[in-house]
Amino acid sequence: MPKTLDVAADLLRLLADTATEPRPDSQLEALTLAVAADLPVLLWGEPGIGKTAALNQLADSLGLPLTTVIASVHEPTDFSGLPVIGADPAVHGVPMAPPDWAVRLARAGRGLLFLDELSTAPPAVQAALLRLVLERRVGALRLPPGVRIVAAANPRASAADGWELSAPLANRFVHLQWTHDHDVVIRGLGGTWPRPALPRLDPTGLPEAIAYARRAVCGLLSARPALIHQLPKTETRRGGPWPSPRTWEMALRLIAFGTAAGTSREVLSMLVRGVVGDGPGLELLASLDRMELPDPEALLAAPASAMLPERGDLRQAVLDAVVAAVRQRPQRARWDAAWTLLVRALETGPPDLVVVPATTLAALRQEDWPVPAEIERLAGAVTVSRVAAGAGGSR
Amino acid sequence: MILDTEKLYAARLHATRVRPYLAAALFALHPVESTRVPTMAVDRHWRCYVSPAFVAATPVAELAGVWVHEVSHLLRDHHGRGDRYAARRGLTGPGERLRMNIAADFEINDDAYGDGLARPAGAVHPRMLNLPTGELMEDYLGQFRLGPYTQGMAWLDCGSGADGGDRPWDLGPDGAHGLTEQERDAVRFRVAQGISGQPGNLPQGWKRWAEQAFHPPQPWRDLLGAAVRAAASSAGTGEDYTYGRPARRSAALPGVVLPALRRRPPRVSVIIDTSGSVSDAELGSALLEVTAIGRAVGGRRDQVSVLSCDAAAGVAYPLCRAEGIPLIGGGGTDLREGFARVLATRPRPDVIVVLTDGQTPWPSAPPGRPTVVGLFPRPKAYVNEDSEYVPEGPPKWARVVTIG
Repeated sequence: MPKTLDVAADLLRLLADTATEPRPDSQLEALTLAVAADLPVLLWGEPGIGKTAALNQLADSLGLPLTTVIASVHEPTDFSGLPVIGADPAVHGVPMAPPDWAVRLARAGRGLLFLDELSTAPPAVQAALLRLVLERRVGALRLPPGVRIVAAANPRASAADGWELSAPLANRFVHLQWTHDHDVVIRGLGGTWPRPALPRLDPTGLPEAIAYARRAVCGLLSARPALIHQLPKTETRRGGPWPSPRTWEMALRLIAFGTAAGTSREVLSMLVRGVVGDGPGLELLASLDRMELPDPEALLAAPASAMLPERGDLRQAVLDAVVAAVRQRPQRARWDAAWTLLVRALETGPPDLVVVPATTLAALRQEDWPVPAEIERLAGAVTVSRVAAGAGGSR
Repeated sequence: MILDTEKLYAARLHATRVRPYLAAALFALHPVESTRVPTMAVDRHWRCYVSPAFVAATPVAELAGVWVHEVSHLLRDHHGRGDRYAARRGLTGPGERLRMNIAADFEINDDAYGDGLARPAGAVHPRMLNLPTGELMEDYLGQFRLGPYTQGMAWLDCGSGADGGDRPWDLGPDGAHGLTEQERDAVRFRVAQGISGQPGNLPQGWKRWAEQAFHPPQPWRDLLGAAVRAAASSAGTGEDYTYGRPARRSAALPGVVLPALRRRPPRVSVIIDTSGSVSDAELGSALLEVTAIGRAVGGRRDQVSVLSCDAAAGVAYPLCRAEGIPLIGGGGTDLREGFARVLATRPRPDVIVVLTDGQTPWPSAPPGRPTVVGLFPRPKAYVNEDSEYVPEGPPKWARVVTIG
């Protein structure tokens, strides 16, 4: 008769024996990118949804040892150092000794520091953590650059416990909302956990990635200087991501890393909104979208081989930009090229998009310019416009 | 039957002419011909399924109304909100999805048409069920159920984009011409920006949507709680170094006297000054919220005290007795008196919370303590127009949270 505990050990071993399957996971991808970019990350998520498991997975894949420190059970001195008196304090001063986990991290030279339960830490501890997160200093010890910092916090539910994150501390983190995907949980409990493919940085395109990120951020901020610094008005929002010169620099770094890794827009969206907040983040993404539209001058230079975007709203934006470019520098060759583009747009997509640009372009005609032959081929757009006008008249 | 694309696109063009602020969203929709869909329907990936027979049978002007209606479902995120509502209430089944579709249509249709846009035949309106206009899908959902009055609405089907339930004709996330979540957000954001940046008389419903689409209003409980917590944890409140006790670390450092960090739980004083215009339930829930937060921050029940003016005594006394909160007593009918009495108590409170309807004079100088004001907005009808007394708003030194 085998002993119960031996059988239990067998059962536990069998339960732990699960398979994995490849499956994209955008939040883990975002976390990996932010950690790779050496920015402190703050995961917001309900207790028990696998933040720690994700951290273990990340530490494994990056090959970093994981050190977990629960912020809420520590005193401020655990992060700012303990005073230790030597033989002659007046001569040697009083050094602030770091706790053992910091010493071990510093000796290893690399590692992943996980600060759990940040939002339930009292304000004094949060203030002490500020220095650790920003300057990587624990007492007199400076953590080596190979140490990456990830923190986790439980979103304050309607219950009245926990503290708001102070605005200066919140402004130093990449905030990532951590949620569970019910499909993943159900398949995982069925025995198959996902194995996400982590983003890899492409070593060949680094300068281009930096140039792209700089162009995106500087382009947006020179058009919208009001976005550079906006301290939120309510305490709840101050504990989240908000735009400041510091977070814009973080956004720039994240875009450069995201571009170098070729990540999806979804991941980039999570990261950018996690540093500068939803509104400014969406504006930045919108300006990225605009940067990816074809350049109107390039289209006008080679209208016959032009590739117009498939999506209707983007196509309309491009056609508007082309007409605006012709308006700025009206020349006959450019005007003719624009007609060729409009015909191409009509042949490859819905006709209603072409109507407004065509009307505007026709108004730009100068007297000695002959009507181009292509205008015949726009008949489809003219019909659509006439039918639509009829609908307006019959109201 | 062949889809009359010319008519369909002419209708879209007409829609963009009368609703220019929706043009980006209308152009982002990708039409897909489908014989299985009864009229026109959208999915959550911004595809618009179109029945050729419906297009043939509908005049262009009405078709434009349908375009605007369908794109409104997507802009207003009805599928996401429907899913969240269903998850919160544990609702399942096609009947519930139909109800969501009807409620979503109510939200759109009450101010979508007119001003150049024709109302499609058979468009439902909240007045058909004697419901008020100008409410949200979630509000309408609580106010009607399927029955004889909704019989005529049962043929409605705006697709999975309107209520979140999958349809047989959907191409799904992998099909062609779908928008990813990020692209959808980008389109919605562009439209919202266009609306809020455009002065002029746009429909109220769209203005409200543009304000709230990416900055949903926060519940006052969260805001009030955050304000009280922030006041209670601000510098100089409750926490300081003291030589009154040795530090916990002293054992490690013989011969050195270290100060210990002591947390003195903050004392919270609540002043209630409202007239009869605030309902007892509202006042009671605000008071309970504040005292709960005060206790969570302070740790002991006697750290929270309440001072009420006479009008609010009816609510405050029983509540305080039931909750074991010390009552300082009636503070007159003037907030200035209330402040003076609270500041005269020893030890002095660390945080002052005022629950008021704003119809009161305020102290001229800051009380020297972080102050949070929970303001009950007073209905306009109560304002006595010919009286010379104009109440000033809460002063700048107080953190104001509007309740309700």
